[in-house]
Parts: sequence; structure tokens; C-alpha cells
Amino acid sequence: MKKILALTIGLGALAFSSCGKKDDEKKTYALVPPSVSNFWEICRKGGADAAEELGADFEFVTPESITDQKVKIEDLLSKGVDGIAMAPGDPANQTGFINEAAGRVSLVTVDTDAPDSDRKVFIGIDNYEAGWLAGDLVKEAAPQGGEVVIFIGNISQLNSRQRRQGLIDNLVDREKDPSRYDAPGQIVKGGKFTVLDTMLDGVDSPKAKANAADAITKYENLAVMVGLFDYNAGQILEELKQANKVGKIQVVSFDEHSNTLAGIKDGSIYGTVVQNPYEYGYQAIKVLHALNNGDKSMNPENGIIEIPARIIRKDGVEEFEKDLNAKLGK
Amino acid sequence: MKKILGILITLIVLYILTTIIGDNFLSPYNQEQLLKRTALYGLLAIGVSFVIITGGIDLSIGSVVCLVGCGVPWLVTQHQWSPTMAVMMAFVIAVAIGLWHGFLITKVKLQPFVVTLCGLLMYRGATRGFAEDKTQGFGTGYSELRELATGKLQITEQFGIPMPFLLLIGVGVLAWILLNKTIWGRYLFALGNNEEAARLSGINTDRMVTLSYVISSVLAALGGLLFILDGNSAQPSDFGNFYELYAIAAAVLGGCSLRGGSGTVVGVIIGAAVMQVLKNMINLADWLKSHMEFLIVGGVLLVAVVADELVKRRVKK
Repeated sequence: MKKILALTIGLGALAFSSCGKKDDEKKTYALVPPSVSNFWEICRKGGADAAEELGADFEFVTPESITDQKVKIEDLLSKGVDGIAMAPGDPANQTGFINEAAGRVSLVTVDTDAPDSDRKVFIGIDNYEAGWLAGDLVKEAAPQGGEVVIFIGNISQLNSRQRRQGLIDNLVDREKDPSRYDAPGQIVKGGKFTVLDTMLDGVDSPKAKANAADAITKYENLAVMVGLFDYNAGQILEELKQANKVGKIQVVSFDEHSNTLAGIKDGSIYGTVVQNPYEYGYQAIKVLHALNNGDKSMNPENGIIEIPARIIRKDGVEEFEKDLNAKLGK
Repeated sequence: MKKILGILITLIVLYILTTIIGDNFLSPYNQEQLLKRTALYGLLAIGVSFVIITGGIDLSIGSVVCLVGCGVPWLVTQHQWSPTMAVMMAFVIAVAIGLWHGFLITKVKLQPFVVTLCGLLMYRGATRGFAEDKTQGFGTGYSELRELATGKLQITEQFGIPMPFLLLIGVGVLAWILLNKTIWGRYLFALGNNEEAARLSGINTDRMVTLSYVISSVLAALGGLLFILDGNSAQPSDFGNFYELYAIAAAVLGGCSLRGGSGTVVGVIIGAAVMQVLKNMINLADWLKSHMEFLIVGGVLLVAVVADELVKRRVKK
């Protein structure tokens, strides 16, 4: 053991002179999502395209968990990247670590913000407003009102919590208040709608499917099932098919998972609220590059670059998919 | 030395290989991270190696990591416990878990695999229950407590030995003394080699087995504490997932036989280091894809175990 320690320290000392960033003129930027999903694949493409335009290298690393996200970023810092765009899995508790990383390289947040950290810029949507839009879709899908269950990966991330709250507040006709919070098991009633439950799956698709099945069994009079993470609506639809309830229960989705788009085309999903993950990735890398060149023009005063969410229904889905495929080079 | 030769060679080869193919592998920052990660996983591995030496297995380690990693910040931030009380509580619970495992295995005569598998499910379930599946952490506060994991013993301006590594050395020395210099250590090995013979020769085997599970749970709790103090964010649903398997892998790499009766502390620590250098290598080398991490880690582990087996046979001849 002593030998290993000596070796480690010795080799470490040798490297002191050569430590730090690569000397290459070519910059390297990294994008670190909190988990693996289709959404982040699209974001990755945006980042890769921006890097190519800038003549920079681009890395996309996918952590297994929030704990692993820290490890992956530490390794990127070791490696000597020039900028990191990250979507913090747990902003409140990661703030210290984000500051540490931001002290070493340029750092921006995408999709999920860590507002109290030293991140330079946040690129994303206002999730409360986006959740509110999903509420509009639910009201369109079920004008008579009724019982609603929400499906979501987690509510530990600020973005998912706000997205869910925006949806609930719209459904039960409350005033807008992004700081409000209803606990998951709590029944929320108001106007024509009753939100019975929020089922969490820990970003685990099989669990999401099982949750959908349990909800269909448990609640007999469901009017609408809303999936707030990109895979949720697809999993809900699978269960509805098996239970022969497609069309009897409306589905509203979030994001542009291929199963969601297919569902909207054949009418089994009413509609979806889409963000613009391609643009997140693209802007993030552009902003990082600008920051590294001392160019503040892309750096807004409030530190937030908002990329608005949109609603996609059956009438707009073909065009949306065409544009998406073009961006993904399909 | 003979016992750890195989794994030591593996570590040195990996070190040289990563220096060549990885960017900035030898930078002080990266070496600090490696020492820290080796320490965190090494503590778990030393714990489980006690159980493995007696011929048992502990699958509940990851869930104990989760229980402590989520439980301590939960008590401190949501129930206003003092950090000292919360940490003491964590260790009391860990001791209780170890005693409970020991009781079920020695008195109720259940198999260790089953007992600790139930533990794996129960402690995570309990954590998810009391934490209501919410992510736990200390926010921006409690930086003094967090020094335990984030602090460093500064050697030069740029390089310091992380606090967890100093703890690992301390625990490693204690474990080495217990295993090699006390009568209890001899009992543990005797028990692993042949439980029946050990019992007949007058060793209180039940007490020794229970002791090994207590050590395993307590070190899992220490590991869990350091993991949360370092990472500051624990999701009850995935914090510590599979850590028992990383610990067991490190122990086996380090020369512990799952049949019991053999193992060295130094070997186990090197085993833990091999795992961490390997993961680091995958992240630092551009052409290795990080989502293939498990494939590469699994493959190299297999090669290392095979090589170790061959080296041991040759040494025996």
C-alpha cells in the first residue's frame, strides 16, 4: 500500500508542471444531462452542431445518477474541458459543487437552473408556464372536466416540480404562483377538475408503465392521464392499449418522444407541450464559446436565455416531426 | 505480498495505461479525486471483506449507505437534530443492523444471502418511506461537518490528501491489526476455513459471525456518511444502488475468496483502487465511450480475476 501511495504522490508531483487545460487551440465543450433520455439525445445534437460550427470539440457524457453526475463532471474537469453545460439533477444541494466547477471553467445550466449558483447563464424554459400550457391542453382534451392523474419521473428537480405545479394550478383555476407546492398524494380540487394523485417513477420506464397500470386499476373514472417526463405518455398509452381504454381516457404529454408523436398522429394522445432541446444544446455551446472569448453579447442581464415552449396537436404534428428529423439528420 | 501480487500488477498496469491514453490523468486534481473515491468505496470493501472472510455475504451495504446518506441530512435539515446526534444515531442504527443480521444468521440459522437480501430491500424501502422519496442533502450549509469528506491534508499548493483517504488508512490499519495481530482475527479466518472445526475447537463462532456483520454495517454507515458529505445530494431511490456489488468486487479482486478463509486488507484497498482507476480511465480517454462503462469494468474485472488466479497457482508451484 505504501508503495502505491508513494507512486501516486510521486507521479502526481511529476504532473504538476503539465496540469490544467490542454494547450491545444481547439476548445472542448461538454454537455452533462442528469440522466439518459431521448430528450437529451436531441439536445446533444444541438450541442454537437454548434461545436462543429465553432470548430470546437464536443463531449456528451451521461451519468447514472445524481451522485454519478458529480463524478462525471470531476473527470471532465480533470481532463481539462473549456466549458461545461449541465442540467443539475439536484440544484439546491449541488450549488456548492457547481460553484467549485464554475470556478475552474465556464459553466452554464440548461433545462434545470441552479439560480443560487455561480453559473453564468441558464438556457431553458419557464417550467411553471410550460406546465400551465399542459393544463390548457388538458382542458381542451376534456372540456367537461373530471379526474386527472399526473405521471412524472421525480419532483426533486426544480423544473419538474414547477412544471407539475403549473399544470395543477391551471386545472383547478388558481392564480399563478410558481412557489406553491401540493404534495404528491394530496387530492387537489377546483373548477371542473380533480387531481387525484401524482405518481413518481424515478426516471425508470418500466416503473412508469406499472404506475400507469396501477392508476387505471385504482381510479375507475379517470378523464385524463398526463405524462410530464418525455417517456411517460408513451408508457401510459401502452397500458391503455392493454386495458382497452384508448380514447376513453385522454392522454396529454410533455416533450417530443417518438411514441408521443406517433400517438398524436393516430389520435390516441391529444397533444404535447414541447420544449426545444435542440436549441438548448445549440445555444449552450454558443454561449460557452462566447464566454471563453470574453464576448458578453450573448450573456443577458438576468442570466436567463428563455426558449419558449409550444403546444403540438394533431394538426401540427407532421410539420413538427419533419423539422425535428431534419435537425437530427434522419 | 504474494497474495496481492496479481492485483498490484493490475493496478500498476492500469495506472500506466491510463497515463498514456487519458488526458491529464496525473494532474493533482485528478489524483485527489481518485484517492477520495478509492477511500469511499474502499471503506465499504473492507467492511464486506470481514463478512466474506467468515464465509458469509452482505448484500445490504448499498441500502445502509442509502439509509445513512439520506437519514443524516434528513434528521439535520428537516428535524433540526444536531449533526453530532444525527451521526451518532446513524452508527447506533448500523450496529443494530449488524447485530440483527448476526442474530438471524447464527440463532435463527438463516442463510446470509437471504437475510441481507431482505435487508437490501427493507432499508431502502424504509428510507424512501421516511424521506418521502425526496432528494436529501445539506444545501449550502454545514460546511464544517462536510469537511470530513471534502477536507484535505495539503501536501503541496496543488495537491492534498483528501480526508476520506486518511480515514481509510486509519480504518485499514485497525482492520489489519484486528485480522492479523489479535486472536479474534485468527478466529475469523478459522471460521471461514471450517466453521465446524472452529466451533469444536472452542471458538464462539456465533459471536465472531455477528461481529463481522456489525463491522460490515458500521463501515457501510461510515461510507454512506462520507458519500453524502461529499456529494451532498442523495435520492432515496438510487443512492448507493449496487454499492454492495462494487464492495464485493473490490474484496474479491483484493484476494478474498467467496468460500471464506482468505483475504488481506491491503489487497482489498488495492481492489477498490483498481475499480476507480478503471472508471476514471473510461471518462478520461476520448475514444472510450462512457455509456459502455459497465461493459469495460466487468470485462477488466474478469480478466483481473483470471490473471490473479493464474499468478496464485504459479506462486504456489
